[in-house]
Amino acid sequence: MRNPITQLTGQQGLTPVTTIIALLALASLYAIPCFVESPYALHIMILLFLSTIMGEGWNIIGGYAGQYSVGHAAYFGAGAYGTLILLNMKGIPPWYGVWAGIGAAVILSLIIGNICFRLRGPYFVLASIAVAEIVRLTVLNIPSITNGAEGILLSDLPPFKIGERVITDFISKVPFYYIGLTLAVFTILVTWLIQNSKLGYYFQAIREDQDAAHSLGINLNFYKNVALAISASLTSLAGAFYAIYVKFIDPTTVLPLDLSVQIVLIAIIGGIGTIFGPVIGALVLVPLSEALRSNVIAQSLINSGLVKEDSGMGVFLKEHLAHAHVLIYGILVVVVILFMPDGVLGFIKKLAARRKRGDA
Amino acid sequence: MALLEIKNVSKFFGGLAANADVSFAMEAGMIMGLIGPNGAGKTTLFNCITGYYPPSRGEVLFKGMKMNGLEPDRVCKLGMARTWQKVRPLAKMSVVDNVMVGALCRTNSLKKARELAMEQIRVVRLDHKIDFPAGGLTIGERKKLEVARVLATRPELLLLDEVMGGLNPAESDEIIRLILDIKKQGITQMVIEHDMKAIMRISDRIVVLNSGEKLAEGSPEEIVANPEVIAAYLGSD
Amino acid sequence: MTFSVLLQALISGILIGGVYALIGIGLTIIFGVMRVINFAHGDLMMVGMYLTYFLFTLAGIDPFVSIAITIPLMFLFGGILQKVFINRILGTLPQNQILLTIGLGLIMSNAMMLAFTSDYKILTTSYSSSSINLGGISISQPLTVSFVITAVITVFLYWFLMKTDTGQAIRATAQDREAAQLMGINVKWMSILAFGIGSSLAGTAGALISPTYYIFPQVGSAFTLKAFVITVLGGMGSIVGATLGGIIIGIVESVGAVTISSDWKDVLVFTIFLLVLLIKPSGLMGKSRM
Repeated sequence: MRNPITQLTGQQGLTPVTTIIALLALASLYAIPCFVESPYALHIMILLFLSTIMGEGWNIIGGYAGQYSVGHAAYFGAGAYGTLILLNMKGIPPWYGVWAGIGAAVILSLIIGNICFRLRGPYFVLASIAVAEIVRLTVLNIPSITNGAEGILLSDLPPFKIGERVITDFISKVPFYYIGLTLAVFTILVTWLIQNSKLGYYFQAIREDQDAAHSLGINLNFYKNVALAISASLTSLAGAFYAIYVKFIDPTTVLPLDLSVQIVLIAIIGGIGTIFGPVIGALVLVPLSEALRSNVIAQSLINSGLVKEDSGMGVFLKEHLAHAHVLIYGILVVVVILFMPDGVLGFIKKLAARRKRGDA
Repeated sequence: MALLEIKNVSKFFGGLAANADVSFAMEAGMIMGLIGPNGAGKTTLFNCITGYYPPSRGEVLFKGMKMNGLEPDRVCKLGMARTWQKVRPLAKMSVVDNVMVGALCRTNSLKKARELAMEQIRVVRLDHKIDFPAGGLTIGERKKLEVARVLATRPELLLLDEVMGGLNPAESDEIIRLILDIKKQGITQMVIEHDMKAIMRISDRIVVLNSGEKLAEGSPEEIVANPEVIAAYLGSD
Repeated sequence: MTFSVLLQALISGILIGGVYALIGIGLTIIFGVMRVINFAHGDLMMVGMYLTYFLFTLAGIDPFVSIAITIPLMFLFGGILQKVFINRILGTLPQNQILLTIGLGLIMSNAMMLAFTSDYKILTTSYSSSSINLGGISISQPLTVSFVITAVITVFLYWFLMKTDTGQAIRATAQDREAAQLMGINVKWMSILAFGIGSSLAGTAGALISPTYYIFPQVGSAFTLKAFVITVLGGMGSIVGATLGGIIIGIVESVGAVTISSDWKDVLVFTIFLLVLLIKPSGLMGKSRM
C-alpha cells in the first residue's frame, strides 16, 4: 500500500517514482539561489531550514522515543554559545567550533538523561524545563565566559578557505542558504536512517509502552539516552547555525522556555514520529510568524477593506499584530492539541483511513 | 538441573504479603499451570520472576543463575519472557513491527528480524493483518499478537499471564493449540489461567496459590481432588 | 552577615512563603482532582494581579479588600477554562495535557501584553513600603497582612475540604475518580470546582503580592515554575505538603538571596527541585492525600 501518504510519513519505503521526484525537488532547492536574488526570499528559506533542523532534532526524542522534553533550548543554546565563545574569544572558526557546541550538548544530554529518565511522563517534562532554566540562569550569571545578559555579538565571520582558495566570505546570504539546506537534508536523512533501523523500532516501542518494551529485551536507559544524545546534537547544530547567521546571541534569544515550546510546536504541528512532520510544521510556522512580523496580515486586512486604516482597530492591528506571534503560537498549540493531536500528517492519515473504510 | 527454581520467594507491599514463602521447581519442556483465586499473588509472582520488581525475600534461579534484581531486559535476553494480563500492544505500530521488536532482541538486522517475525505471525495465524496498527485489533488478535511477539524473542521459558482471559471458546481453543505447539518446540511454559478445563488439558503439573502462599502442588488429577484447593475456590462458609 | 540580617531574611521568607503556599495549594488541588499539571498557573496569578491593579487604579479599591471580588471572578474564569478546554483532554497523554496548559498560559500572557503592553505596572498603596519594627527587625507590613489573610484562607479551605459534603466529594474524586463516580459523585462538576478553586487561589495570591511586586505580563512564568517546585516538594495532591513546601521555598529563596546571591537563588530553587524529583519524587507528604 505505497500511496503518497504512507511515503510522506515514511512508513513504507520509497517507490522509484517517488525517489525521482524527491531527487528532483532536492536539486531544484539547491538551484534556487541561481535564480532567486532577493535576500528576503533567501532569508525566509533559511528560517525554514532552521526550523526544520530544530523540529527534526526534537522529533527523535519526542516523536519517536516519546519523551517530551520541553527544555530543548538548552541544547540549542549550547550549540550557539559553544560556537560563538570559541570564535569570539579564541578565534576558532565556526566549522571547528561547532564540534565543541555539539560536544557540550551531548554531555549535557547525558547528564540530563541520567537524571531525568527515571521520571515518567509529566515529571520528565517538568524536569526538562527545570534543567533548561538552570542552564539559562547559569549562562546569564557567568559573564566572564558568556558575557551574561549582554550576549555575544559577532562582527565578521572568517572566510572559509580550502588551502589558499577562498570559497566564501559569508557576506551574502547565499552560503547560509546552502549550509542551512544541507543541514536540513542531513537531519532528515538521519531521521530516515533511524526510522529504518533497530534504533527506530526500539525508540517507538519505548514510546508506545515502556514496560512492554523493557520486558522484550530493550534496555530503556541506554536507548533513551542514545535518542536524547542524537536529538541534542542535531538541535545544537541548529543553534550553531543560528549563531553564525544572526551573529548575535544572548540568554533570552537562545535559551528561553519560549524557544523550547516553539521547537516542540514545530514537530507536533506536522505530526510527531514522522519524517516529514517537522517540515510541515516549519512550513506552517515560519510563513505565519513572518507574515505577522512584517505586518502583511494587518496590511491585507486593511487593503481588503475589512478594516479601516485609521480606525481604532486598524491602528491597533498595525502596531501590535507584529508582536503577536507568540500569542499565535499559544493559540496554535491549543488548537493542535485539541483537534489534531497527531498533527497535520496524522489528521490526513485518519482521513485517508476513514475514506478507505468507507469504500470497502 | 531444574530450568527454573523458585526458592522461598516472598513479596511485601507495605504490610501486605502478596507472595509468602513460595517454592517450587520446573523442569525443561514442561507446562506448569499456576492457578488460584483472584488476588492470590499469581501475577505478583510473575513480576518477581521476570524482574519487574525484585522479590523481598527468597531466590529465583533460572538455569542455575540467580535472577534477583536483574532488569527485565536482561531477563528477556537470558531466555525468559512473559505476556501481560492486560495486553500491551505497541498500539501505533503495525502487527509485523510489533513482532519485529521482539525479534530484534536476537538480531540487529531488520531483514532477519522481519523473517523471524513473519514466522511467528504465521504460527499464530495473524498473517492477514500484518500491516494493521496493533491498536485496532480485537482482543483475541491482541492476545495472539502478544504471544507472537514474545515468541520472537526466542525464550526458553515462557510465562503466559491469563492469555485466554476475555476470549470466546473458539479463540480459547486456538490458544490451547498454540500452547501445545509451543511445547512441541521444546519451550517450557508457566501458564496463569482461570479456565479450569484449559488448565487441565495443557498442564503437566499445577501449583495452586492462595492469599500469597503455595497451597498445593501436584498433577492435575491430584489438584482437582485436593479438598483444600476446592475450599479455597469455593470459599469457606 | 549578622544574625539579625539572617533572622530578617528568615521572617520575610516565611511571610512570602505563605503566598507561595497559596499558589502551591491551588496547583496541587488541580493535580489531585484531575491529574492535570497546570502550566498556566502562574499566568492565572498574573491575571489576578492585573485585576487587582485595575480595581485599585480605576475604582480605588484597596488590594486586600478587592480580594472579595477577585476570588469569585477568578473562580468563574477557572471554571470556564476547565469546561471549554481542559475537560476535553482529561483522558489523554499527560504530555499533551501539559502542552495544552502551556498554550493557554502563552495565550493569557501574550493577550495581556497586547492589551496592556509589557510596561511594568506598580501598585503603590499608602502602606506598600511600611514596615513593622520588632526588636530591631523590620517586617514588611503588606507581607504580614497577606500572610494573615493566607492563613485565614488556608484554614477555611481545610475546613471546606474536610467538613463539608462538597469538599469531601472533591477529596473522594481526588483519591479515586472511578469509585467516586460509582458512588454518584458528579466528577465532571468536581473537576470544574477544582480548577475554579485552584484558579481563585492563584488569582488571590497575585492580589496579595500586588502591593509589593512589579506587575507585567510575563511575571507568571517564574511563579509557575516555583509553584511546581513547591508542589513536588510537598507532594503532588497534598495541601499540607503544598503549605510546607511554600514556606520552605520562601525561606530558601530569602535566605539564599542574602547568603549566596540573588542571581543564583533561582538556580538553588531549581536544583532542590531536581533533587526532590530524584530522591523522593512523591515529595514530603506523598501522593494523593488531600
